Amino acid sequence: MSTAEILSVTDATGVVPLPRAQRSAVLTQLRQACLDGGLGDRSRPAELPSGHAALDAFLPGGGWPLGAVTELLGDTCGIGELSLLLPALVRLARSGRHVACIAPPHLPYAPALLQAGLPLERLLWIQPEGADAPRLALWAAEQLLRCPGVGATLLWPEQIDARQIRRLQLAAETGGGCALLYRPTQAAQHPSPAALRLQLHASPDGLRIEIKKARGRHVHAVVVHPAASA
Amino acid sequence: MLWLCIRLPALERAALTRLAVWSQQWSSWVSLGACGNDDRSNEEQSANPEADCWLWLEIGASLKLFGGVSALRSNITCALEALGHEARTAIAPTPQAARLLTRTREPRCTSDAAALRARLSPLRLELLDLPAVALTALRSSGFRHIGQLLDLPSDSVAQRFGPEAALYLQRLCGEAIEPMPAVPFPRHYHARVEFGHEVLQATALLFPLQRLLWELQGWLRAADRALQHCTLVFEHHGRADTGLTLRCSLPSRDAAQWLALARERFHSFTLPAPVRALHLRADEFTAPAISQADFFAQEAQHSQLLHQVLDRLQARLGTHCMQRLHTTADYRPEHAWRSIATTDASPQSVTEASSNDATPRPCWLLREPRPLITAPRLIAGPERIESGWWDRGDVARDYYLAQGADGARQWVYQDLRNGIWYLHGLWA
Repeated sequence: MSTAEILSVTDATGVVPLPRAQRSAVLTQLRQACLDGGLGDRSRPAELPSGHAALDAFLPGGGWPLGAVTELLGDTCGIGELSLLLPALVRLARSGRHVACIAPPHLPYAPALLQAGLPLERLLWIQPEGADAPRLALWAAEQLLRCPGVGATLLWPEQIDARQIRRLQLAAETGGGCALLYRPTQAAQHPSPAALRLQLHASPDGLRIEIKKARGRHVHAVVVHPAASA
Repeated sequence: MLWLCIRLPALERAALTRLAVWSQQWSSWVSLGACGNDDRSNEEQSANPEADCWLWLEIGASLKLFGGVSALRSNITCALEALGHEARTAIAPTPQAARLLTRTREPRCTSDAAALRARLSPLRLELLDLPAVALTALRSSGFRHIGQLLDLPSDSVAQRFGPEAALYLQRLCGEAIEPMPAVPFPRHYHARVEFGHEVLQATALLFPLQRLLWELQGWLRAADRALQHCTLVFEHHGRADTGLTLRCSLPSRDAAQWLALARERFHSFTLPAPVRALHLRADEFTAPAISQADFFAQEAQHSQLLHQVLDRLQARLGTHCMQRLHTTADYRPEHAWRSIATTDASPQSVTEASSNDATPRPCWLLREPRPLITAPRLIAGPERIESGWWDRGDVARDYYLAQGADGARQWVYQDLRNGIWYLHGLWA
């Protein structure tokens, strides 16, 4: 039985006492859930399968955390950091939710995204300008994350601190979408309230994904995601 | 028929007409009384009645919808207060009686035609809308209360105090019908607020703007219409007016939403000069985006929320900073895509069939091709692209997949005309 199921039972006990026989069973399950660290993820509604079985196996809940911040750490552009997300983004967009790209380092190339199956009318490309651009990008991300019609918000922040990430985290909890932050490798030295932190490296076989932090689970795994054929 | 009379302190004719249209949200039959035709003094009210304005709403047909007389009345009074109007209301079966009752201390509702006479009879004669000459004549004849006058036969009143007075008394009691011309719904909304001082900060305009937007919201409700854009005009001293347009991607009549848009716009907007007066204009009324309660209500609500967020972003960031992408049929990679403002995009796909669907493309395209100093380490290719001779954007390139020193997979090309290598994309 999953944690969510157990909780629905305990919620119900608020008004209706459980029969004695069931009570011990629920307690046992709760104890197990506490040991698994699953109770901390109560607010999490569901996960979004990443589309890569090898990766899903290591992610708590089996996918990108919804209603939470995921950090993707890496210093190099063009190692497959976007293709990694594409299957999930396509799934979101096809289900009618929007995907927002905020302040990406390069132009998101429409023909490639279309080839991946992403309905382009569900993609928003937001590129704030001017001296205030970094702050506006964060503001836009927060606004979009709060909106339940936006399934995923990808953000390339110039500079972001833990407090700002927490704000995004709260916004994501409200909207229930994925917040995906691309940050430099160096950011790994500082703690972050993100639910999931992945370090991305280029490797001869493809993209090497190292799970640095996963909420509710102690995993340290490295998954190699084969490069897209070109 | 049941008339609700709203008595307002002095208002400009334009403002009164706007208010008349605004009050059509409660009644389809709204009539307005000209200002200043009330030329009597009245010691019972502190306000100067000579300058009072009147609005009549036929509410007999609206009672059921708005939950009865008292609910409707408090609804209207609250809305008037929100707009900053101090109004007195009274309800009676005839317009004249309703108007008369607004002058009493306790403007109780009299909905019954039979009870109307009893309600009016004990009231003082001075409350009547009769010329001062007639009132003096009545007083010198020993009349003190309206009831005494109503007891007189109509032809006798006509003989002694003029036919107008007789007709007025008949209309007061509902024995004669009074023509009440309905205020038509205008094609444009235009309101102007003048400030006593010059406003220096755009954000200080939000408060007066809010009232105008509430009024506009009432208009739109009255006509069951919505707006997609409206214009703010700032009047300055000694220089041309300036302005800005607020846009909404879905037709909306929600004042709060428009105000939020204005707030975002004002954030990044500095007034070119101090503002003396503010105008709000709306010209194109459209059908509202109706959110019906159905099985997919949640999805519709989400999409409405999204549109509100997008409008807010657009107002703050500007149209050019928020785009949707689509592909175009062109072989040249830099021309194979376009971006359009989110407001212009129809909800349907705007994607043209791309002419080179089969060949894979990288997720990142560089804004400008970057010349490479050293020849790249090629992995796959080439793909020759020669195109664009018709619009002087002629290209002749061989594209390759290459491996960068940092492990990045690059999309590079060699310009066939000069042999220089360029980085054009990244396989992200």
